[in-house]
Amino acid sequence: MSQSTTHPSTPSRLNLIWRKWRFHLNVLLLLIPLGFMPKYFSEAALFRGDEGLGQRDVGEIQVGPWSLRLAEFRNEAPRQEGPAGPMKHFNAALCQRCIGQVKATYLRIGKPRSLRAAGVIFFGSPYRMGALLPVPSKTQPDAELWITLEGWDGSMHQASIPLSQASPATVAWLNTQGTQR
Amino acid sequence: MTSRACFKRLALLFCAGFSSSVLAHNPMCECKAIDAEQIQCTGGFSDGSGAPGVTLDVIGYDETILVPGKLGADSTLTFKKPNAEFYVLFDAGPGHVVEIDQADIEAP
Repeated sequence: MSQSTTHPSTPSRLNLIWRKWRFHLNVLLLLIPLGFMPKYFSEAALFRGDEGLGQRDVGEIQVGPWSLRLAEFRNEAPRQEGPAGPMKHFNAALCQRCIGQVKATYLRIGKPRSLRAAGVIFFGSPYRMGALLPVPSKTQPDAELWITLEGWDGSMHQASIPLSQASPATVAWLNTQGTQR
Repeated sequence: MTSRACFKRLALLFCAGFSSSVLAHNPMCECKAIDAEQIQCTGGFSDGSGAPGVTLDVIGYDETILVPGKLGADSTLTFKKPNAEFYVLFDAGPGHVVEIDQADIEAP
């Protein structure tokens, strides 16, 4: 008759620590999202409008008898939006008294040839509208941003501001695109 | 969990992950000269969808419409190069336009 005995191997110190503390890793898993909280709350405030129209206010712009407040949604260079190319997000708010009179608001780099080609349209509430403006990389840094307002009465009013005033970050980005032109 | 329920969950995750890219669909248009006389324009949207039936006009610098057109089933339109100076306007509705100047059209 044979007899066998098993001698349990003594676990290493590292193994003991691992066995004792491994379940406490759960606490770490809870702590990781906390690190992202400041970024989350700042983004939520930006999207909700608690920080104003956007990260950088361009100011009040007079367009004929009307005016609007323009802001860069993010104070940064245009973002690549897939095959559509670089896009810059602007937000705008119509003046209180012109909300009922303005039918559409358009934005374009360079003077529009016609109302039909007035650029991208702002969408959303007149208190906080948004538009994604295409910014071709060959745009000249001294270009102008044109705002076109179309009224319900059929009237059209336009105004322009230098792109450097509307978005210095975009102009800085365009200056780095020189080699591609 | 049944395979059907599992599939539903995966589909939901997929939709949530790609929702932002589906939301953004900017109009796009590209024109190139296919020979010395003809120009072909292709329209579409940045989400990959085509634009059959969408208006594409060839307009002179004096704002007269030289070639009124609509994209075909393959989202393209071929037209004879006008003699006057022109630009191409892909018009998918107010604020959803793409303008291509004759100077930006690639030579064959």
